[in-house]
Amino acid sequence: MENTHKAKKVFVQGPISPDFVARSIASHQSKTGIGAHAIFLGQIRADQKDGGAVTGIEYTAYEEMAEQTFHEIREAAFSKFELSCMHIYHSLGLVPTGEISLFVFVSSPHRRAAFEALEYLVEEIKANVPIFGKEIMGEGGHVWKENS
Amino acid sequence: MSFHVKYYGMLAEIAGMSDEVWNADASLTVGKFRSQILERYPAMRDKKFKIAVNQKIAEDFVPIETPAEIALLPPFAGG
Repeated sequence: MENTHKAKKVFVQGPISPDFVARSIASHQSKTGIGAHAIFLGQIRADQKDGGAVTGIEYTAYEEMAEQTFHEIREAAFSKFELSCMHIYHSLGLVPTGEISLFVFVSSPHRRAAFEALEYLVEEIKANVPIFGKEIMGEGGHVWKENS
Repeated sequence: MSFHVKYYGMLAEIAGMSDEVWNADASLTVGKFRSQILERYPAMRDKKFKIAVNQKIAEDFVPIETPAEIALLPPFAGG
């Protein structure tokens, strides 16, 4: 792959649909140099909090900085691992419990690079991208989520 | 000098706004700015947050020079 990759739009409004994930996989069938895809899907958990069960997370972001950080993480992953392709999507706005808020999709000629790149990307995203999550409880309260 | 300050997440709730114009003396570091913020919004004292200057996380010794975009970033929660 070339050294620089076009900055891609990461944020989508609301949940990421399983249908979108399926179509993303299908669109790689023509890329026959790929031998392995690895996919991470982040799903909203119904955690129990003082104010009741979480019914969804409302995401906001410092979008300009987040897009730039996503770009830097992508570039770093392309230089560290033998990848054919990489796609990252993250939700903004409300994502209800049980639905998908993060979709990371890497493709490589071989499985090892795909596995390693996927873990690297998810950890970097959670640690370094300025995205904020308000966990909404059924009773109307909320708490701010914090990645561990 | 004056510059633009953006608040996110719980910090926007405390400030009661998502951004404002900040007026300060000519020589200001991130650390001094942090003290001014905590003075204006005491409820932020027990909150963890990082300060970004022009979209880069900045340590306390970094000087703020206009034009600058400052952002107060609570713990990240992506994923």
